[in-house]
Amino acid sequence: MAQSKTLNFMHEIQSLVGDKLQVVSYKWLSRNYMVSSDEAKRILQEFVQKHEGGLEMVYALSGWLKSKDPIYHIRLVTGPKLAEAQQEFDGDCSVQVYSVQASIPKDPASLWDAEFIQAEELFKQPSSVDNCLRDNRFCGISNSFVRRNVDGSTVVSAAPLSKSAVREGPTKSNTVQQSPKNIARDSIDKVDAKPQNGIKEVKSEINGIGNTVALDNINKPAEQKEKALPLPTSKKKVPADKSGSVAGGSLASFWSRASAKPKPCTPLVEHNNTVSNPAVSPEKAQTACEEECDSGNDDNHNVSFRRSSNRKRRVVFDFTDEDEDDVVSLASPDFPNKQSSQDSRQNDKNTSEKTTLNFDSQEENKSRVKEERGTDQKAHLPLRDNVSAISKCTNTGKSSSEKLHSCASEPSVNEDTVNKAHPCSPKKRKVMKTRIDERGREVVEVVWEGEETGVKKPDKVTTKNTDSKTNAANSAPATKKPPANSNAINGKGGNKKAGKKDPKQGNILSFFSKV
Amino acid sequence: MLELRLVQGSLLKKVLESIKELVNDANFDCSSTGFSLQAMDSSHVALVGLLLRSEGFEHYRCDRNISMGMNLNNMAKMLKCAGNDDIITIKADDGGDTVTFMFESPTQDKISDFEMKLMDIDSEHLGIPEAEYHAIVKMPSSEFARICRDLSSIGDTVVISVTKEGVKFSTKGDIGSANIVCRQNTSVDKPEEATMIDMNEPVSLTFALRYMNSFTKATPLSNTVSISLSNELPVVVEYKIAEMGYVRFYLAPKIEEEEEEKPQV
Repeated sequence: MAQSKTLNFMHEIQSLVGDKLQVVSYKWLSRNYMVSSDEAKRILQEFVQKHEGGLEMVYALSGWLKSKDPIYHIRLVTGPKLAEAQQEFDGDCSVQVYSVQASIPKDPASLWDAEFIQAEELFKQPSSVDNCLRDNRFCGISNSFVRRNVDGSTVVSAAPLSKSAVREGPTKSNTVQQSPKNIARDSIDKVDAKPQNGIKEVKSEINGIGNTVALDNINKPAEQKEKALPLPTSKKKVPADKSGSVAGGSLASFWSRASAKPKPCTPLVEHNNTVSNPAVSPEKAQTACEEECDSGNDDNHNVSFRRSSNRKRRVVFDFTDEDEDDVVSLASPDFPNKQSSQDSRQNDKNTSEKTTLNFDSQEENKSRVKEERGTDQKAHLPLRDNVSAISKCTNTGKSSSEKLHSCASEPSVNEDTVNKAHPCSPKKRKVMKTRIDERGREVVEVVWEGEETGVKKPDKVTTKNTDSKTNAANSAPATKKPPANSNAINGKGGNKKAGKKDPKQGNILSFFSKV
Repeated sequence: MLELRLVQGSLLKKVLESIKELVNDANFDCSSTGFSLQAMDSSHVALVGLLLRSEGFEHYRCDRNISMGMNLNNMAKMLKCAGNDDIITIKADDGGDTVTFMFESPTQDKISDFEMKLMDIDSEHLGIPEAEYHAIVKMPSSEFARICRDLSSIGDTVVISVTKEGVKFSTKGDIGSANIVCRQNTSVDKPEEATMIDMNEPVSLTFALRYMNSFTKATPLSNTVSISLSNELPVVVEYKIAEMGYVRFYLAPKIEEEEEEKPQV
């Protein structure tokens, strides 16, 4: 077994030295093939014995020099000078093959090149990986006081180590791949590397002089290493958290209140709009009405009214996609408009008769409308609770009081009353149409009309406004559309979608033909 | 094998930003003449035409015509990872199902590779006939973007009318109406600030501002925009891309239905 292994090594070394012209030193050999340094030296020795021709050897001589003060000396010499160098040593000196190469390099430093690259790669390995440099396992000299990182558990890490070492070929590409992956680790490795070097130096000191003070130094790097070690582990944890779906959760745990609230909040807001709005809006109307009664100031309340109605309009936007019926019914008042303006006038008269209030001028009407709307809604409150169909037709304007009667008596007529009530708007500057749909949502529309415009034009304006309110996205195209047309669009349930499926929008395919 | 090296990588970034809003998925067609794209928006109202001529690339290798279906949003995401000064190289294999974007930093010390999956897109290539336009307006692109933005806050459509006086952009909305007139102005010091109107006959067309605003996303590509109008033809809004190509947006006009409005008044 050992024999065949050695044979393999022989071949490897032969090819490395012969073909790749690499300097194969015992250190490199030991690290690369995971054999002890003594074993590596032995292999090299064998190799040299077998292939002496065509190769250059560098020997390492170590022993005491022949001088007055005995000094322990280690020297590297080339093959031809071996005998000469041996003379300088006192008595016996150990002669070992340091390295084998195709030719003696001009620059002695290149002897270390391969070693250096190899050592660098080993240092660059993640500190969690225990490699032969870290645990110093192949060194012939060891010191029991030196504590290695990774708990010195060389046995445990032996398996991954050999793997990594195999992967860690002499090529540099490996290190290139590794380094960008984790710069932080690299820096830590460097920190590790320094202490390692320190240990080496210290060791050589011990070897050479036997200085015991060095022990302190040995401990220091070990401590540094220990400090450095926890870092990578913690760093590993962080990305692990991030990669998992826990990231959101951890944020939420930091700002539990902030993150927890908005999430349920958004649906809540919508919820309010849809469900509680109808319940609230009558109250709003009530308060508005009370305010109106207290002070007769028109303009301020116009503003407040408009705002409230805006909110209610939003409700319509959100849900028009779902209830197309609403849209249709919203626009439906337009049909009677066109049929006869006479109707509307009659209706107007009716309402003005029925309402106990007197209309001196159209200007005043504005405020009246609002007042009435308020009272109307007050009156409607109980009704709504009972029959949703009644409240469905809730209408503001002069006709509201009329509707009060009709609603109470015969809810089925509601639609008509709405329609009739609508035409009366031409005489007013502002009309608010309130309606409760099947789902109990209140829909208020504010319509502005010019005083100077004729009877017909205001009609158009009103329709436009209904369009613009139901059609949030498509208001401008709607303005140009005749009421009938706009109704058709509304009937399609267009709204925001109608913006895209605008019938007036040309299709590019009608201009360019397919190739 | 396809390999296109574009030194001014920011151009490609800007191109993607300009069209990704309008078009979700599109086929990029590469031929020996250049790198091009034609796509309609989902509602088939607007059309985008992009051309980057092969001469504009530092290195252009396209062995055979290849069409690569890409999700433009995903592509934009990848291109966003490129620095503005980076050199972008687009690489693809014939018949492969991925495309690779390589970003090199100007100092060559950082090289990024982004590989994106391609997709199969059924697209209809439209033949766009060469047409004589009644009016061609060249104006600063930022000015055009500003006008479209401003008008869209008032109305949904814009009427672009070109007369001898100049070009008028007008809109109407619930809150009121707006008219912006730009007169011909070639006497400015900088040619990119000039407004030039080349008119054969007066034109007036209505367009959806929503699309116009999408088109103006291409404003960073060029200082000037050219708007070509012809009655009963889609408008062409063209942004030149630094001597090497263009992005053209075609938008079908809105059909006028004034006769229906008359009985009302």
